[in-house]
Amino acid sequence: MNKAWLHFVLIACVGCLGFARAQDAKSARQIIAEAAVLSDDSDSQVKLVQSLTGLGDPETEPLLLSWKEGGIYLVPGADGKKVAVTLAGDPDAAKKETAIRLDIKEPLKDAAGASVRVSPTSAELAETDSSIRRAMKAVTDLSKLAAPNAKDRLMAISQLGMERDVSKLPILEGRLKVETDGQVKRAVQEAIALTQLRSPDAAVRLLGCKALEEIHPLSAKDALVGIIRDSEKAGDKPLLEAAKKALSAVESHRTVVNFFGTIFRGFSLGSVLLVVAIGLAITFGLMGVINMAHGELIAVGAYTTYVVQCIFAEGLVLSPFGMQMSLPGMNTTGWVYEMYFVIALPMAFIMAALVGLALERGVIRFLYRRPLESLLATWGVSLVLQQIFRLVFGSNNVQVNSPSWLSDNWTINDVIFGWNRVFVIGFAVLIVIGTWALLSKTPLGLLIRAVMQNRNMAACLGVRTERVNMLTFGFGSGLAGLAGAFLSQIGNVGPSLGQSYIVDAFMTVVVGGVGSLIGTVASALGIGVIDQSLQQILGNPVLGKILVLGAIILFLQWRPAGLFATKTRSLES
Amino acid sequence: MDHPLILNAEGVNKSFAGFKAITDLNFYLTEGELRTVIGPNGAGKTTFLDLITGRTKPDTGTITFGALTELVPLSEHEIVRLGVGRKFQTPTVYTDHTVFENLLLSLEGVRGVWKTLFSKTTSTDIDRIDEILKIINLGSRRTDLAGSLSHGQKQWLEIGMLLAQNSKLLLIDEPAAGMSDDETALTGELLLKLAGKHSIIVIEHDMVFVKQIATGRKVTVLHQGSVLCEGSVDAVQNDPRVIEVYLGRKKAA
Amino acid sequence: MTHSLLVRPIAKKEWTFTAIIAFFFIVVMPLLNSFGFISDFTINLWGKYLCYAMLAISVDLLWGYTGLLSLGQALFFSLGGYMMGMYLMRMIGDMGQYHKDMPDFLVFLGWEQLPTFWKPFSSFPFAMVMVLVVPGLVAYVFGWLAFRSRVRGVYFSILTQALTYGASLMFFRNDMLMGGNNGFTDFRFILGFDIRSPETKRGLFIVTAMILTVTFVGLRCLTRSRFGLVQQAVRDSENRVLFSGYSSPNFKLFIFVLSSLIGSVGGALYVPQVGIINPSEMTTDNSLEAVVWTAVGGRGTLIGPIVGAVSVNALKSWATRAYPDLWLIILGGMFIIVVLFMPKGIVGIPGMVRDWLAKRKRQKEPMEDAAIKKTEEEAA
Repeated sequence: MNKAWLHFVLIACVGCLGFARAQDAKSARQIIAEAAVLSDDSDSQVKLVQSLTGLGDPETEPLLLSWKEGGIYLVPGADGKKVAVTLAGDPDAAKKETAIRLDIKEPLKDAAGASVRVSPTSAELAETDSSIRRAMKAVTDLSKLAAPNAKDRLMAISQLGMERDVSKLPILEGRLKVETDGQVKRAVQEAIALTQLRSPDAAVRLLGCKALEEIHPLSAKDALVGIIRDSEKAGDKPLLEAAKKALSAVESHRTVVNFFGTIFRGFSLGSVLLVVAIGLAITFGLMGVINMAHGELIAVGAYTTYVVQCIFAEGLVLSPFGMQMSLPGMNTTGWVYEMYFVIALPMAFIMAALVGLALERGVIRFLYRRPLESLLATWGVSLVLQQIFRLVFGSNNVQVNSPSWLSDNWTINDVIFGWNRVFVIGFAVLIVIGTWALLSKTPLGLLIRAVMQNRNMAACLGVRTERVNMLTFGFGSGLAGLAGAFLSQIGNVGPSLGQSYIVDAFMTVVVGGVGSLIGTVASALGIGVIDQSLQQILGNPVLGKILVLGAIILFLQWRPAGLFATKTRSLES
Repeated sequence: MDHPLILNAEGVNKSFAGFKAITDLNFYLTEGELRTVIGPNGAGKTTFLDLITGRTKPDTGTITFGALTELVPLSEHEIVRLGVGRKFQTPTVYTDHTVFENLLLSLEGVRGVWKTLFSKTTSTDIDRIDEILKIINLGSRRTDLAGSLSHGQKQWLEIGMLLAQNSKLLLIDEPAAGMSDDETALTGELLLKLAGKHSIIVIEHDMVFVKQIATGRKVTVLHQGSVLCEGSVDAVQNDPRVIEVYLGRKKAA
Repeated sequence: MTHSLLVRPIAKKEWTFTAIIAFFFIVVMPLLNSFGFISDFTINLWGKYLCYAMLAISVDLLWGYTGLLSLGQALFFSLGGYMMGMYLMRMIGDMGQYHKDMPDFLVFLGWEQLPTFWKPFSSFPFAMVMVLVVPGLVAYVFGWLAFRSRVRGVYFSILTQALTYGASLMFFRNDMLMGGNNGFTDFRFILGFDIRSPETKRGLFIVTAMILTVTFVGLRCLTRSRFGLVQQAVRDSENRVLFSGYSSPNFKLFIFVLSSLIGSVGGALYVPQVGIINPSEMTTDNSLEAVVWTAVGGRGTLIGPIVGAVSVNALKSWATRAYPDLWLIILGGMFIIVVLFMPKGIVGIPGMVRDWLAKRKRQKEPMEDAAIKKTEEEAA
């Protein structure tokens, strides 16, 4: 940036708040119209543009934008003087359009009083040069600072903070005085401190360092490193020390943020694992059935969510096996549409449970005493299901939109808590409690536990084991469906969705100790947190994942039966 | 004592998730002895065998085999190689192998991976197998698959496998279970024939069978994981504590 | 008397049969090819099938004979392929896109010089030793850990699945310096022969058929030796094996390593014939597909996996062209049907038919007896 220009802006800006008030009669529209015609006098144009600052006129921004992008033309008016106009966009045969006066928003009349029509290609454009554009940008940036919405203000301020333009310090300071929102205020302080570091005045730089030490924003690292380097060269001891202190405050804050962030992400990944694995904990853990198609049951849940979503919107057309099948949509919008997920959850459960029941009746019930064979047969089922997904929904991922109440986040002290992640944790807690309650508090749960412990004995006592097997498997499959509905919110939904989770799910159950619900919970959270920590430490998700797999194999050396092994006297398992 | 001890278990404790299966058990067996162990369900009989064979490890206590060998730190197959053979409650034989092959695999000697790769079946091996087949009355079934044998015959084959192993100590878990009366009697005779040459611990419920094999020998009663009393069959049967344990249980049931 | 290494002797008939089949593959088919009766394409295709047969045999040795369902066989197959691939990549020399004496992807990754571990792979014997050493070592370490902690049954399957998954993640990475997700391809020479010429392909086919024959005969003897008996005893009753004084973990480890080597050799023969190897070969699904071949052919027999690998893959070659959308459904369905209704596979069909006929006969006989009785009564 050139220095003269910098000074100029500094003076102009300081003055402009008061200056603008003096001309309160004029609207942004009028000022811009006035400025646009002064095409020979760039300095006056700049001054006029700058005078827009602080007007708070909502039209300022769109008009400046339109000027910049060539939407304003200069057309001779009735007196022959050029007038700034926009075109109405009603081309006739000669491609001419009505010229609308920019300042009063009315058609421009010629001497005869008729509307002037010009062609956009032949009319003179109101040009902008770089100095005007810079002034425009300064104006729009600053106008955003006063935006009524805290979020917009925050965005504008952090942008300014990144620019670190010393000339804008007074504006930021002015904002600090009037700002009421805590988060925005913090951002302003941050921006001020960061900008102060650029100040030519050593005392101001020192002030910046001290402020940064106090508010230790994560973004200050590079700036502080720069200051340390410069002050070392210049031998400025107090500044060097202050900068070092500030840097260490930032660094320690970063550690804290990373720590909590990692824990949170670990818990949310753990919850995903838990949601995915809990159905498996039932079918594999309790029933001893290795269901390789568990992943596809998850996908059934995810696709069900997709279908429900489409029905809430415009409906969808499927063409499986050459047939045409169209599902009508309800064309809902707004909050009704957003509630589709609430309907999708039970639907996903039911659909997956139904597929699970069919699987149990058709294949698995013949293989209860042959776990390896059930592994193979269910893998066959998983291939078939995957291909069916491809035929029905196509090989590409389908688009599932998260409802807005899942796509925002909270930021507390620089730690980001995504609502979908918070939701998955809560969701996992609910599912675990529900499953636990079903198993230990209901008559059905009692029957399930009885049958799983000793099929023959339960049968002798008159329990209809066939039915219990069926229901248990259906329940486990339904849980897989819920997991699928959930995963549709945080990842892609495609035919091989299930494949990407199946290894993790089995690992979780095995590490937790087969047949132990609490073990599954502990191992899911443990694996989640360890995985995220390794990612944080190694800075590489794949390497982290490989290490976790290795760690699990080694862990099983130490506890072959998992974390919470059910110790039994019968060793034949 | 005129005979040295072959098994010496002292102060053995074992619990499963809080349940005390074996409590402060002391048990001594002399060489060549045939000892019958009885006791109600859950007395810890099978667990005791598991502890001797290394299938589970005691929480505390020592189990010594022969003069000096401590069994606790050894693994199952090492204990077997020392000369401890076990017959399981349900007969466990290789069902897809012939009777001959079952015994061949049990023959003392070749055990390592490389040795089995290059081991030839010698005529001494075959003679020994035929000898055992005679003892266990399965000479006529030599080339049949073990899976095709009757329940009783499988039990005998399993005992034959222990003989082939040349085990010094035989641990026999409920040999009469699921057998016809004739088979039971034959089994009793078989065990009596082996006593003296081998030391044997038999776990049994069937009192007729116990009388057949234990008359004139010591019987041990286990209760709640420790030795309740020891003595002859008659003495044990008339012991008030034993009666209470069995009858008391029956009342409760 | 029977002073043989084999507890279960092999009949002369079997030897003759094996010799005839082997002769057909090693001599007759290549001859027919060189006279143009069998197309080069067919020879190449069958060469691939025979490599798959090696993989299937390795699966069967573990699953059919020892009761260990390994989902990691595709990993060993690919590892063998990668080792061979490294040699083949070196043989491209400076004929790659960048005309440097090193694989293109390394140049692309910014390597000025060949990384050290790549250097010895210019030697064919070294690469062949690595084909055995690398998968063998992986299998040994993993198997030692798994069997020592008594990982059995489905747990073993799940762990091998995780092993395969982890390994494929590693090979997908560029900084593994093994070609990342593109793997190795564009091979040119093997032992100085042009890898694309029909003669080389015929040669590779002959070598594959010979190695498969040797493997088959070797395993035939192995499974009938005392070792083989112990191995099958582990499958049927591992506890009894332990209580007979055998250290079953050692036996399982030996078999696991041996089968990893067989799979690896299969992979090493496969790569020059298909001309590409990449990490997508290294998936659990590929392992499971080999299990399907074995199951369809008939597990617990050695001829079964060969029959299965060839027939399922022939079916696949046809179906993926004729009904590309349905192939996976056919494969999956085939698996379900074989597991549920044909536990002995194709090889078991004659036995099933025999049993069924015997059963029918038994059912018929009493009726005939009754009929005879009836006529006798009538006569009386």
